[in-house]
Amino acid sequence: MEKYIVKRVLAAITALGLAGVLAACGGGDNKDATSANTGAAVIQVGSVYEPQNLDNTAGGGQGVTEALNGNVYEGLFKLTDTGAVEPLLARDRKVSDDGLTYTFTLRPNVKFHSGKALTSADVKASIERVTAANSKSARKSNLEVVKEITTPDDSTVVVKLKQRSISFVYNLSYVWIMNSQAKEFTTTEDGTGPYKLGEWKRGSTLTLDKFDGYWGTPAKNAGVVFHYYTDATALNNALLTNAVDVVTNEQSPDALAQFDSNKAYQVTNGKSTTKLLLAFNDKVAPFNKVEVRQAISSAIDDKKLLSSIWGDYGTPIGSMVPPSDPWYEDLTSVNGYDPAVAKQKLAAAGLPNGFTFTLDTPNYDPHPTAATFIKSELAKVGITVHINTITADEWYSKVYQKRDFQATLQEHVNDRDVVWYGNPDFYWGYRNPQVTKEIDQAEQARTTDEQTTLLKKANKTIAEEAASDWLYLYPQIVVASSKLSGYPINGLNAQFLAYDIVKN
Amino acid sequence: MLRYLLRRTAILLVSLVLAAVVLFLLLRLLPGDPVNALLPVGATPEQIEAARRELGTDVSLPIQFLNWLRDAGTLDLGRSLISTLPVGPEIVARLPVTIPLTLSAFVLAVLVAVPVGVLAAVRADRWYGLILNAVAQLGIAVPAFWLGLLLITVFALRLQVLPAGGFPPDGWSEPGAAIAALVLPVGTVALVMSASLIRYVRAATLEVLGADYLRTARALGESPASALRRHGLRNASVPVIAVLAVELATTFLGAVVVESVFALPGLGSLLVTGIRQHDYPVIQGVMLVSTAAVLLVGFLGDIVQRLIDPRLLQRGAS
Amino acid sequence: MSRRRSLTLAVGLTLVLIPAVAVIVSFFWLPFSPDDTSGGRLAPPGDGHLLGTDKLGRDLFTQLLLGGRIAFATGLGAVGVGGVLGVSLGLLAGFATRWLDDAAAVALDILIAFPTLLLAMLIVAGAGASLGTAILAIGFGLAAVVARLTRVLVKQVLSREYITAARVAGISWPRIVATHVLPNIGPVVLVNLALQTGLAVLAEASLSYLGLGTPPPNASWGRMLFEAQATVLTAPRAAIAPGVALIALVIGVNLTADGLRDLADPTRRRSR
Repeated sequence: MEKYIVKRVLAAITALGLAGVLAACGGGDNKDATSANTGAAVIQVGSVYEPQNLDNTAGGGQGVTEALNGNVYEGLFKLTDTGAVEPLLARDRKVSDDGLTYTFTLRPNVKFHSGKALTSADVKASIERVTAANSKSARKSNLEVVKEITTPDDSTVVVKLKQRSISFVYNLSYVWIMNSQAKEFTTTEDGTGPYKLGEWKRGSTLTLDKFDGYWGTPAKNAGVVFHYYTDATALNNALLTNAVDVVTNEQSPDALAQFDSNKAYQVTNGKSTTKLLLAFNDKVAPFNKVEVRQAISSAIDDKKLLSSIWGDYGTPIGSMVPPSDPWYEDLTSVNGYDPAVAKQKLAAAGLPNGFTFTLDTPNYDPHPTAATFIKSELAKVGITVHINTITADEWYSKVYQKRDFQATLQEHVNDRDVVWYGNPDFYWGYRNPQVTKEIDQAEQARTTDEQTTLLKKANKTIAEEAASDWLYLYPQIVVASSKLSGYPINGLNAQFLAYDIVKN
Repeated sequence: MLRYLLRRTAILLVSLVLAAVVLFLLLRLLPGDPVNALLPVGATPEQIEAARRELGTDVSLPIQFLNWLRDAGTLDLGRSLISTLPVGPEIVARLPVTIPLTLSAFVLAVLVAVPVGVLAAVRADRWYGLILNAVAQLGIAVPAFWLGLLLITVFALRLQVLPAGGFPPDGWSEPGAAIAALVLPVGTVALVMSASLIRYVRAATLEVLGADYLRTARALGESPASALRRHGLRNASVPVIAVLAVELATTFLGAVVVESVFALPGLGSLLVTGIRQHDYPVIQGVMLVSTAAVLLVGFLGDIVQRLIDPRLLQRGAS
Repeated sequence: MSRRRSLTLAVGLTLVLIPAVAVIVSFFWLPFSPDDTSGGRLAPPGDGHLLGTDKLGRDLFTQLLLGGRIAFATGLGAVGVGGVLGVSLGLLAGFATRWLDDAAAVALDILIAFPTLLLAMLIVAGAGASLGTAILAIGFGLAAVVARLTRVLVKQVLSREYITAARVAGISWPRIVATHVLPNIGPVVLVNLALQTGLAVLAEASLSYLGLGTPPPNASWGRMLFEAQATVLTAPRAAIAPGVALIALVIGVNLTADGLRDLADPTRRRSR
């Protein structure tokens, strides 16, 4: 008897549920939610880079730059989508003749989202957060050149450097100016940007609302919602079903075919700075021999790898420098694909019968694919590769911190990062005192031309000595609904400036 | 009955503590030092020591366990290593997705499996009974994620009537969108679960069909349907209810894979992310909550079973 | 045995033996080398490629065979581990008395409360993803279920009269276990293990799908299905083939187990 009652109740619940579903199916989506006062639309952005937390000095990751850089937080300077450095919160700057003292005058009448006014104390505190001992900022080592910061008055900041640093202003574009009096930054924010943080649902969405008290030109849309997915297919499906309007960085070359021929979407191919590297441990045999590294570089057909992963997209590169850096030159012919040369070099290095090594491969795309390809290419010249698949944090502790590896695959996102080859303690252990000197000198150059000449020279050496094997430059593909305009297409250094996006 | 209740509750509590011990040990025995996640490159020994103190790994193992138990008892499940956000609220935030998913799928599966299973048993000798059995066989062999993928391809990508995944940012305050987002995942889980439930129901009913008391009832003049209804189903339901309790528990986190396919921000995807990132506090927290839920459901299932088991009722069991 | 039941067994065995033979053959001969990427991305069937190629240009059929190796290895391996571990634990628990027995029952219930897949995920999280870890992890998960069944069966057997008679006659416990207990519980346990094989194969596929199983580039069917998602509209072959293979194998295993169960206990009137 009880069973019958139970069954009836359950039937009732289901009936209600079904009714609800049917109602919902007709309900449609309210993605074109318009804000009550301005009539502008809310942009739905899809990405696979969810921030770990909201603080870029506490390991927030690539996602925090994408969501917050330029949108919620601003720096003294900003990096535009075309790679130019423009003043933002710093109205002007003066540099002393010896290049060691920078004086910045702050823009007046700037307020944080909490209402507090921007002062030089906030700037000082923000820079010091990046250089602090427990900072996990990616720019920490770049800013170690800062000796002292003083604030003679509320709108002036004076920074003294230990030595000349021609990239200093450029590096400052990455420093978020945060309210020095705010309590915590991992789950909340207090910046000066055109958006303030709405709600952050971990694993799901991050909402930015337009900030009405913004000092500059207000955002062209009413807000942005970042939708996060853990894999590229789910993200593309969301775009296909119009759950999102734009994908910040298309990860899946296979899915492009669906969008290329579809008039409802536009696919743009911008300039990326992400390079896929086959990084050798230059300190460890046999990779401590230049000929061996050159041999491997010559044995792998980078163009074929690129086209098998990305088809017609992506760019071949011959060094660590992407085309958007001022000191770029085309070095793809250096140690270019030539298996015969590879075999000769191996013999010259005393390994005519090849050798065996372990390739530590991160387990996420495209590394396993690239590893498989490399294995089969190197087999043709007698080199046997053991693929050891590891997770991202294993890579971080085993390869990056402990340097316990022979060779590894990794993607490097930043621009202007050829300078890491000047540091013999970097994880790949490349040591060339001449190169180190040239890179140091470049940083202390007085003009950008001088810097460019020096870095070009250093880069050529690095490429010729095959310090690493630079497999290809990722394409920077943004796929958006045709109704959208004003979105960034280059995504330099993973930022996604959302304030110009308009939905028609 | 009261004695049984007390005894069963005692077992529940002991089980909870034991589960906590097992979980704790399992994770502590794993290789890899959790401090690595907290520190920048080139950390000094003082920084490492400070990080250990923060994590609580600088004291001995038994004390670590007691600290963890005490914290868990006060519902402080620690902080995520990756995001530094507290785990407890994180878990709570995921429940509005996982609980409706699990319960709806469970209810739907039961509503489908019970009539179908009984029918398959009663008409086991007819051709459509055979078909039903074959369909059930198919159902338990299909991996949930493949079925999910199929449903997404057909309903979301091709026909464009339902979303391909995700959950509305405002959650249940947009009930229409929330329900739409759950239709396909619930369907996937329900289909897979009902396949295995059908088999249980069918087997239990078949067993009952051949039982003596049923023949006696028939001999005494009752119609087959009525006999089945009045005597058979109650007896058949006992083993089925035992299975249901386990199945509900399994669905709760078996939806893990389905949450992954449909990009739902539920408990399962929190666990998977935590495992991928070696975020021990998150893993511990989620597994503790889910194990507690499973044990609780088992406890309730046992109670219900005792309440309705006719044999026990006749004997006036305590 | 009735015709319908022998049909079950026959169909089941066919569905299992065909891929089994294919997998065994694959150790001696493969249509293409697993690393051969010359086929062109996502090519349709033709040119020696029975099922076309995957996104790297590798022969899809070869990848399917390699995945089959993993499926069988996991199915047999996990059940082996689970069986040995589970039966041993179950035997010990079956012989336990009073409070030790209660404790064993509770412990087993707790272990069963961790769904197999999750226990496996946990173990893989710490020990790293590899075929061996996946087999062990799934095996541990299965062991609890097997142990609980074994315990109940052992208790049943121990309560029989011939055991008491044997003890009175002075036969040692080890001999009793070998000659009376094991042969009596054997058939039921084996059938249960056969049923678990299907679960083990599905668990491995789920682990691989989540990225926690056999790591790439080794092709596991679950992993292949994950990677095929991106091209499901443009090249559905890559998603259909591993799925069908998986389903067919699991159905085959389940039908075989059902058929074996009827063989083992012909007095049962029904098939489950």
